[in-house]
Amino acid sequence: MSSRRSRSRHSGSSRITDDQINELVSKLQQLLPELHNRRSDKKSAAKVLQETCNYIRSLHREVDDLSERLSELLENTDTTQAALIRNLLMQ
Amino acid sequence: MKKSSSSSKSKRWSPDENPKYSLKKKMASRFLRSMKKMDCSSSPSTGEKGSWRYHAIRAAAYASMASAVGPRKAWSRALLKKIRNHKVMMRKSSSERRNNPRNIRRFGHEGLNDLSQVVPGGKAMDSCSLLTETAHYIKCLAAQVQIMKQILHYSTC
Repeated sequence: MSSRRSRSRHSGSSRITDDQINELVSKLQQLLPELHNRRSDKKSAAKVLQETCNYIRSLHREVDDLSERLSELLENTDTTQAALIRNLLMQ
Repeated sequence: MKKSSSSSKSKRWSPDENPKYSLKKKMASRFLRSMKKMDCSSSPSTGEKGSWRYHAIRAAAYASMASAVGPRKAWSRALLKKIRNHKVMMRKSSSERRNNPRNIRRFGHEGLNDLSQVVPGGKAMDSCSLLTETAHYIKCLAAQVQIMKQILHYSTC
């Protein structure tokens, strides 16, 4: 794993052991929907980190998309959907 | 809010973790509150109304996440600071950051470098805290997405 190299090269992260990094990476792996169900086969740290990045980006896109849809919903003031959402907001 | 609307993805996070669930509740109430505020306040009569609302809702989504978590996490501190400074939220210009030589190869690991660019405040973290903060950020972001989906589901079914 390349974190071993980074550990020796960068003084900032010298306190962290490879085991700690591996543990954190495997924790991260469990949060990923792509890799979650295949916990048995161990992924490389690089793969997990890349998947994590992709997952965060996809969540950001989802927030964008949902904001768009919610704003469209509120835009149409006279529909029943807007009435429903206003009802929810007033609770 | 309907809990039954949670997709298969969402079932994994919430029910077993009580503190997380209350955090999610906090996020949801903050988000709804700011949406209500935005709904009551008059929108600008000129210009692109839809775009104004979109940006306001998106900002509210990240703001409610960060303020529900509070200052105990570095990523939420970074987000709150951004909000205070009225800067454009999130991924302001990922290309700009990537081209900044200061950020390249800070970790000596490509995956960690990429991660530090998508997690708020990631640039200022060491590799250990970057990984723990990332895990927490993912959970909160997923919860926020779930909340927004549930609001949409509630009002469209």
